[in-house]
Amino acid sequence: MAAITCQGLTKRYGGVTAVQALDLAIAEGEFMVLLGPSGCGKTTTLNMIAGLEEISDGTLLFDTRDVTRLPPHKREVAMVFQSYALYPNKTVAQNIGFPLKLRGVAPAEIARAVAEVAEQLELTALLERRPNQLSGGQRQRVALGRAIVRHPSVFLMDEPLSNLDATLRLSMRSLIKRLHHKLRATFVYVTHDQAEALTLADRIAVMQGGVIQQLDTPEGIYERPANTFVASFLGSPQINLLRQGLPRPGWVPAGREVVIGLRPEDVARPGDGLVTLSGRVELVSPLGSETQLELSVGEATLTLRVPKDWRVAEGETLDVGVDPARLHVFDAATTMRIAP
Amino acid sequence: MQRKLMLGFFSVLFVLYVAGPVLWLLSSSLQQESEITAVPPNWLPPNPGLHNFTAIFTAGDSAEYANRGLSGFLPSGAANLLPSLYNSLQVGLWVAVLNLVFALTAAYAIAVIDFRGRRATLYTVLATRVIPDIALVVPLFLVIRNLGLINSIGALVVTYLAVTLPFTVFILISYFEGIPRDLYRASRIDGCGHWGALRHVYLPLSLPALVAALMFAFLTSWNEFLFALVLTQSAAAQTLPIIIAGFVMDFTTSFSFVNAAGVIAILPPVLLAVLFQRYIVAGLTAGAVKG
Repeated sequence: MAAITCQGLTKRYGGVTAVQALDLAIAEGEFMVLLGPSGCGKTTTLNMIAGLEEISDGTLLFDTRDVTRLPPHKREVAMVFQSYALYPNKTVAQNIGFPLKLRGVAPAEIARAVAEVAEQLELTALLERRPNQLSGGQRQRVALGRAIVRHPSVFLMDEPLSNLDATLRLSMRSLIKRLHHKLRATFVYVTHDQAEALTLADRIAVMQGGVIQQLDTPEGIYERPANTFVASFLGSPQINLLRQGLPRPGWVPAGREVVIGLRPEDVARPGDGLVTLSGRVELVSPLGSETQLELSVGEATLTLRVPKDWRVAEGETLDVGVDPARLHVFDAATTMRIAP
Repeated sequence: MQRKLMLGFFSVLFVLYVAGPVLWLLSSSLQQESEITAVPPNWLPPNPGLHNFTAIFTAGDSAEYANRGLSGFLPSGAANLLPSLYNSLQVGLWVAVLNLVFALTAAYAIAVIDFRGRRATLYTVLATRVIPDIALVVPLFLVIRNLGLINSIGALVVTYLAVTLPFTVFILISYFEGIPRDLYRASRIDGCGHWGALRHVYLPLSLPALVAALMFAFLTSWNEFLFALVLTQSAAAQTLPIIIAGFVMDFTTSFSFVNAAGVIAILPPVLLAVLFQRYIVAGLTAGAVKG
C-alpha cells in the first residue's frame, strides 16, 4: 500500500503547460478519480504518477519515498489502459504472467498466480487464446488481470471502460469496485464519465485547464460544486445556470451580480416553503422512470426532470416549486460558489 | 473487353521486359559457347547440360582447363570465383547482422525515446542517403586506407554498413511508430527497461520490417560494385560482382562461363526473396498507412 503525494506537479510541453502546480494527497487505499473533459490534464497527471511522462517541476512521493525521477519499472505501480495494451504475440496466460516473469518469479509460481487471477476474473477458459481472439470485455479483464497479478500498491487506470459498450461498462464498473474493496490498494482512476466517477470514487478531483477545480467526495462535488464549471460538468442533464429567471435566495446581498444554478431534479409540485415558477412546456421527453421537460420561464428555458406521473403535455402551462435552499449561487464575475 | 486485352498485352510485354534477361541468363548458362554465339540465337538450349557449372566448381583444376577445349576456355581468374562467392556471403551476412544490431537500437531510440535532438538525428541519418555513392568513393577510400583496412572484407563491411544503415533505420522507425504506444507504456509499467521493451515488444512485433531491412542490407552488399572495385584489389577480399566483371574484360569473353556464374550469383538473393516474400511486402509498405 502507498499514499501518493503530488507537490506542485507541473508538466510543460515546450511553451504549453498541460498540468499546473498540482497539489494532491491521495491516502493509502483510497479510490481517487481524476475527472474532466478532454485535454484537462488528467491523463498527463496519471502518466506522471506512473513515470510515463517526465515531471517538469514539483515532487512526487509514494509514502515518504521520492519517486519524481524514478523510471516507471522501478515505481511498482500497475496500470490499465483504455486501449487494453495487451501484447498481441502473447497468449492470455503469458500476458497476465508477464510482469511476474520480468521479476524472475519461478514458472510454477507464475502458473499458480495466473490461474488464481484467471479464476477471479473468469478467464480460465481463455488462457491459451491470443488477444485478437477475445472480445473487448474479455481483453479488459485480461488487462486487469495483468495489473493485479503482482499485487502492486498503486493501481492506475486510464479510462479503462471507455472502449466498452454500455452494458459491459456497468458490469466492469462493479468488478473494479469489488476489486478495490478486496485489494484495498490505492487506486487512481482517470475518466471523463461522471457516472463512473460518482459511483467509484472515494474522492473526485475535477480538473480543467491543468488545474484541480475541486477535490471532494462525490456527494460534496455534486451538492456543493465549487464553481460553475464543476456544477455544469457533473449532472445529466446539465444544471440550469442563469443570471435571470430563477428566484434569488434572500441571503444574497442586493446588487451583487450572481449566477443561479438549479439542478434539473430539484423541482417539486408547488407547496409550502417553495417558490413557484410558472412557464410553458416546450418539450416533453419521457425517459421511462421519469420525464425530462423543457420549460420556458420568461426569457429563460429550464431543463427539468420530473416524476413520470406528472403527465404534462407540450404547450401547456406548468407550475413548479423550487426550494431556495437547493439553489446554487455563483459569483457572476469569478464563477466561484457563494455560500450563505 | 478491349481494356482487358490491352491490359493483358502490356502485362505480358512488361513481364518479358523484366524477366527476359533472367531467362536468357538461365538458358545460356546451360548452353555451349558456340550455341550461345550462334545466329539466330538459340532461345532454348539445344543440348542442355551442366558443363559450365562443372567448370566453375572445378575451376582450380588445371586438367579441366585443358578439357574445356577451344569453345569452352576458362577466363583467367576463374579459380577466384568460388572464393569470391564465399567473400560475398561473408560480407552480406556481416552487414545484415550488424544492421540488425545498430538499426534496431537506433530506430528504437529515435522512434520511442523522446530525447533532445531527436528530429535532428533522424534528418541527419536520412540526409546521408541523399549523397550519391560516387561522391563518397574517394573520401571513403582515404578513410579506409588510413584505418589500414584496404583490401579486406572489413573494408566492405564497414562501408556497406554506412550505406545501408540509414535506410534500414528508416524502415524500422516507420514500423516502430506504427506499433501502439500503449504497448510500450504497458511494458514499462510491467517492469521493462528500454532493453526489455525493445526485446519484448518491438522485436517480436516488427518481424516483417526486420526481414525487409535485413534483406535490403544483404542484397545491397551482394550487388554492390563501385565500392568493392575501389576498396579491394586482390582475390582475397574481392566479391562476386568484381570477379564476374573481370571475366568480361579479357580479350575474349566466355559467355557460357560468365552466364553460369551469373546464375550462381542470383541464386542466394532469389532464394531469400522467395523464402521471406510474405514479410518483405509487409515490411516495405510498413508505416505507409496507419493500421
